[in-house]
Amino acid sequence: MSPLGIAIVGCGQIADAHLAQIAAVPGGRVVAVCDTEPELAEQAADRFGIATRLTDLGELLAMPSVDVVHLCTPVRSHAPLAIRALEAGKHVYVEKPFTVDAAEAREVVAVARRESRKLCLGHDQLFDPVWRRARAYVDAGRIGRVVHVESVLGYPIGGAFGREVAADPNHWVRSLPGGLFQNTLSHPLYRLTEFIGGWPDDPADPIDVQAHWMRRIASIDIPTEMRVHLADADVTGTVTFLSRAKPPQRISRLYGDGGILEVDYDAQTVRHTPAGALPGAFEKLQRPLGHAAESLGNVARSLWSFARSDIHYFAGMRNLFAAFYDHIRKMGPEPIAMDEMVRVTAIMDAAFASARESERSVSPPSRLPQEVAR
Amino acid sequence: MTASHESNGQSRPPIALTGATGFLGRRTAAALVRDGHRIRCLLRGSSDEQPLREAVAAVGRNDAIEIVRLDFRDAAAVRDALAGCRTLAHLAAGLSGSASTLFASGAVATRHLLHAAADAEVGRVVLISSLGVYEASGLARGAEQTEATPVDRRAADRDPYSYSKIVQERVAREVAAERGLELVVLRPGVIFGEGRPAIASRAGLTLGGLLVQMGGRQQMPYTYVENCADAIAAAAVSEAAAGETINILDDDLPTASELVRHVRRFGKRVRRVWVPGPLVPTMCGLYHAYSRWSGGQLPPVLTAYRARSMWRPVRYSNRRAKELLGWSPRVPMDEALRRTVEAERRLR
Repeated sequence: MSPLGIAIVGCGQIADAHLAQIAAVPGGRVVAVCDTEPELAEQAADRFGIATRLTDLGELLAMPSVDVVHLCTPVRSHAPLAIRALEAGKHVYVEKPFTVDAAEAREVVAVARRESRKLCLGHDQLFDPVWRRARAYVDAGRIGRVVHVESVLGYPIGGAFGREVAADPNHWVRSLPGGLFQNTLSHPLYRLTEFIGGWPDDPADPIDVQAHWMRRIASIDIPTEMRVHLADADVTGTVTFLSRAKPPQRISRLYGDGGILEVDYDAQTVRHTPAGALPGAFEKLQRPLGHAAESLGNVARSLWSFARSDIHYFAGMRNLFAAFYDHIRKMGPEPIAMDEMVRVTAIMDAAFASARESERSVSPPSRLPQEVAR
Repeated sequence: MTASHESNGQSRPPIALTGATGFLGRRTAAALVRDGHRIRCLLRGSSDEQPLREAVAAVGRNDAIEIVRLDFRDAAAVRDALAGCRTLAHLAAGLSGSASTLFASGAVATRHLLHAAADAEVGRVVLISSLGVYEASGLARGAEQTEATPVDRRAADRDPYSYSKIVQERVAREVAAERGLELVVLRPGVIFGEGRPAIASRAGLTLGGLLVQMGGRQQMPYTYVENCADAIAAAAVSEAAAGETINILDDDLPTASELVRHVRRFGKRVRRVWVPGPLVPTMCGLYHAYSRWSGGQLPPVLTAYRARSMWRPVRYSNRRAKELLGWSPRVPMDEALRRTVEAERRLR
């Protein structure tokens, strides 16, 4: 079976990851790149050996060789571009965050259903090898029933993108309803919504969403810290968005009634703490010994992965692309359900509304702490 | 040093400057003001103007500087900011990041800026490009790289910065030809000085605190930041520079090994391992082969081609800059290195 023809729309930084990962997926082959700025399309095409580089989306959508469009543009353009591509008969992969708000998300999903086209969203960390290992623990019942989930996202505000946002009062990220958080909150959030059901404002199937955000860097005049609390009838969860802690971490902790898992994306480790089996002081020996043995196992696993050339930052993205292309060919299930795309967007809307509300009701600190961003 | 020292700066149109708050930009601003020009600095809303103000104040002409804050994506605002200027020195550029980031702040921004300059009837644009645009890999060992050396035809195989400068230059030439702008392209070598390390990647890679010195006989294509700023100030007004492309390099360029010796002499400890020059492309080629084989488990930052472009032992000349700009480096290499190393030691 010949690979699907893929087109990249938007040739900024994340497009590099798409181009590199598609090259590693047998089911897809990039046939064109497109950006309104010709030099951006040129650099992507030249570096990745793509023959067709365009500045006109209409021209791209008219190409019969294009089966799937990957949208790597800023979020404000996602809904209009996705609808245009779907109506042109293309399947669409949308980078996170899905859309500006849930109303747009519902519209995109409705068009995909109407046009019988497939839709995918960049919730790639659910397809990361380390998350799959953690899911296998949970599915095997090794931590019992999940009762609470935590997600930590360390955001490098001193990195290239963070500096741009901080420095430019007209930066497009600032005009989003969720500001800086809108662009990245979905990653830690969808690691929670894997386990927490419900919809905001749906009395039949509710989820409680509370959030607050804070300014904590003197030279940056927008909030850079955020906390989100979710709860359905059974499971609770928290997102901790940190902009000052170094190194920036991507960690989730799954708390079950029979054990705890800590999932570290950057170290690619899963640490399992079973419910205590030994009494009192003996547990203080048993638990660190268990963690030491597990750490040795993690080191061995990392060495083996390195030897097999299997350590890749965007491995989750690669796996998600493969799953999406399989789904298009009717060879696999839908990797991200369309309803889930809308639900996560609706929860983000609720979180931003709650954070804005709490910002109004809480007076800001009289003096901001010492600046830590570079 | 520029030829112009007239005192009638108030009556001439101001010289517009982008990137004026940067490492090179604030020295260029000071050099232009010192030479009797009024300058108009186009700054993003958030740029910190304090270092620029201090640099200009040091030459005693605070009234000669005008600051316009704007969003560079707003073509009309840029055009309005350039109104009344006959010369634009375009220094703003990213130095690091991915190719797409460097292209956005380089070629794309330059295209928009030059169209706005043409709309505002600016006559001359001085573009600060880079010595990195040359196809150094095609030169024989020990050969001289000059303005006649071709621009690299394998641009996309170069490091992201050099690649972005090659395309930025091409775009500037296209727009200048289309819109009738007089373009002066300056290609400075590695710009060093107080605030940047004395040992740049042209000598080798710095890993943690360790310098992996790549060869040693290659001449370091260096220009001290104040000397480079003088050259830009000269290029803004030199009639002979019209339409020309000029390399900016200092005199008495050290080799990589000599550079390390100088830096040590001025009191900075340098821990290094040395890779013999002839082995460098092979080593980098092996790294690249592994990077490809492993599907990018290690990023393809080193390749044999990049090694031949970056660390080839070639020689450089500043004859053309001296001829066309009437410029010569004011601060000798030894003194420039001393100042740079002392600033590094103070910072530590």
